[in-house]
Amino acid sequence: MRIALLSDAATQQFIPVLRCLFSENGVTVDFYEGPFDAIELEVVNPASGFYEFKPDVVLLLNSTQALRSRYYEHGIEPEFDRIRRIWDALETNSSCRIIQCNLPLPYDRPFGQFDLKIQSSLYSGTQALNSHIARIAGGRPNVLLCDLEAVASYVGRRNWFDDRLWDMSKTFCNLDHLPLAAQAMVDLVLAGLGRVVKCVVLDLDNTLWGGIVGDLGPFGIQLSAHGDGEAFYRFQKYLLSLKKRGILLAVCSKNDMENAVAPFEQNSGMALKRDDITVFVANWENKADNIRLIRDTLEIGFDSMLFLDDNPFERNLVRKFLPEVIVPELPEDPADYVRTLSELNLFEATSFSAEDVARSALYRQEADRRRAQNSYTDVTEYLKSLDMRIAVARFETRKIGRIAQLFSRSNQFNLTTHRYSEAQCSVMMQNERGCIPLQAILADQFGDHGLISIVVAWPEGDTLRISDWLMSCRVLGRGVEQYLMNHIFSIARDRGLSTVRGEYIPTAKNAMVKDFWARFGFENSSESTWEMDVTRYAPHTVWIREDSSIGENGR
Amino acid sequence: MDSATVKLRLDKVFQDIFDDPSLQITESTTASDIDAWDSLTHIDLIVQVEKEFKIKLSTGEVRGLKDVGDFMTLIAGKAK
Repeated sequence: MRIALLSDAATQQFIPVLRCLFSENGVTVDFYEGPFDAIELEVVNPASGFYEFKPDVVLLLNSTQALRSRYYEHGIEPEFDRIRRIWDALETNSSCRIIQCNLPLPYDRPFGQFDLKIQSSLYSGTQALNSHIARIAGGRPNVLLCDLEAVASYVGRRNWFDDRLWDMSKTFCNLDHLPLAAQAMVDLVLAGLGRVVKCVVLDLDNTLWGGIVGDLGPFGIQLSAHGDGEAFYRFQKYLLSLKKRGILLAVCSKNDMENAVAPFEQNSGMALKRDDITVFVANWENKADNIRLIRDTLEIGFDSMLFLDDNPFERNLVRKFLPEVIVPELPEDPADYVRTLSELNLFEATSFSAEDVARSALYRQEADRRRAQNSYTDVTEYLKSLDMRIAVARFETRKIGRIAQLFSRSNQFNLTTHRYSEAQCSVMMQNERGCIPLQAILADQFGDHGLISIVVAWPEGDTLRISDWLMSCRVLGRGVEQYLMNHIFSIARDRGLSTVRGEYIPTAKNAMVKDFWARFGFENSSESTWEMDVTRYAPHTVWIREDSSIGENGR
Repeated sequence: MDSATVKLRLDKVFQDIFDDPSLQITESTTASDIDAWDSLTHIDLIVQVEKEFKIKLSTGEVRGLKDVGDFMTLIAGKAK
């Protein structure tokens, strides 16, 4: 790709920054750097070095400082026509794409705030010039605007401008901010090359709303235009604005479909409706496979997909198996979601048309017609790399609060849904001869996940009866249940018991574990019980090691 | 700041800017002694020195510098 940079400021320091950013994005660029302050000379002369270079793209970087110098000579008026003449000359002599920078507003205001009312002031004049540039660019599809004023004002004018650097070397901004200015231009060039985000793949729980919908129900989640959940509402509104400009939205959630869809269809507080989501995937498979499914359905490239999930486990899994998918870190606080995405400037466009507005609906119809194949990702290596550690122990007094909380809140991965109070949990804990109440605490390289699973077992005759088994869905698919099942059978074996008997009581919310026992090879022994001989059980391979030292702090 | 400390830290700045870990400066070093020292690396150098020593240099002060010795004296007087 051939890029020419023409400027009324010195750009020797800027070119290496541009080169570096293009290289990071895998684009090889030949640069042409016009002579200092010779924009007009280069573009009006068909025999100039600029035209000889035959650029694909020209970056026009007009500096506020040079504008100021000219303003002191001639006022602002000649500037309006100057920009138009430069574009005209370029379009006459070349077919290169034009990227025009607008101008960061100056800080000097001789009239103070009254400057706004003085149309001939440098301050008002620069604003008017920026508006003029935007207006006339509207009629020229070949001209893209680089909003350097937005970059500078986000940094802050007092940090952006460095007058000493201008005086010494005609550098247009503080060296620290050259990369930001360059990034804005690189983003535009990449968008011109078709490197744009076409689809945003969204997690649901704690990404699109607060809390776990499977536990809280469609009306219990945090989501409102005011107060608690406002951050999520604002985030949804932002996503809706992306959808309206033609970016597809997809959902990829570890949930039962019924639970996942419920807020979209029932909770009027949702800014996003079911129809806004082009592909909706909710199941308990790994997210890399589900994103493949979405990709196959939409027939777009992985590199045009953006995946947003609050859970670092899921983000890293997708990064590992689908390295082309864009997976930004999300901030801890959902209040910062929109700001973080805005700073990453992921949604550049080079045009906007009626087709963009209609795209979501078109794709949706297409997606509804299609049934894509599910593929299989082997996550073993990934699980190994997580360095998962678990501490399984009898209920502990200091954990009783968290244990009772888990009993009261878990709905989905909960085989019998008994709601025990703290007092009842304490009774089980103290019943050392008759009851084996187990808590499990998990940690991995991302940190401590706290107490995430509970199993209650009762030795009865030659049988070990499992009355309760529940787990936080956040740690699903990592082998925690397999680890605990191994643990249960080793207890049964150590005690000389012959059978393990499990129970399952269906509720409106725990369908995801209805085959739990069958999947482990248990046989149905009555309507709600399942059994397996201890001798028949073959331990499962897991990538979690025992570490009793974790969970000393926290939940 | 004493001149030995200034020299030590300034060496590091020069090594970074000119990408030469063996570079050693003396008081009489001037821009003509180092090939890559042009007007632009000069700006990089000034900005980097300001960061390293947490000082601010005026345009006049920068223009008055004749050699590295001048530079070190200027820094030693301003840095705490």
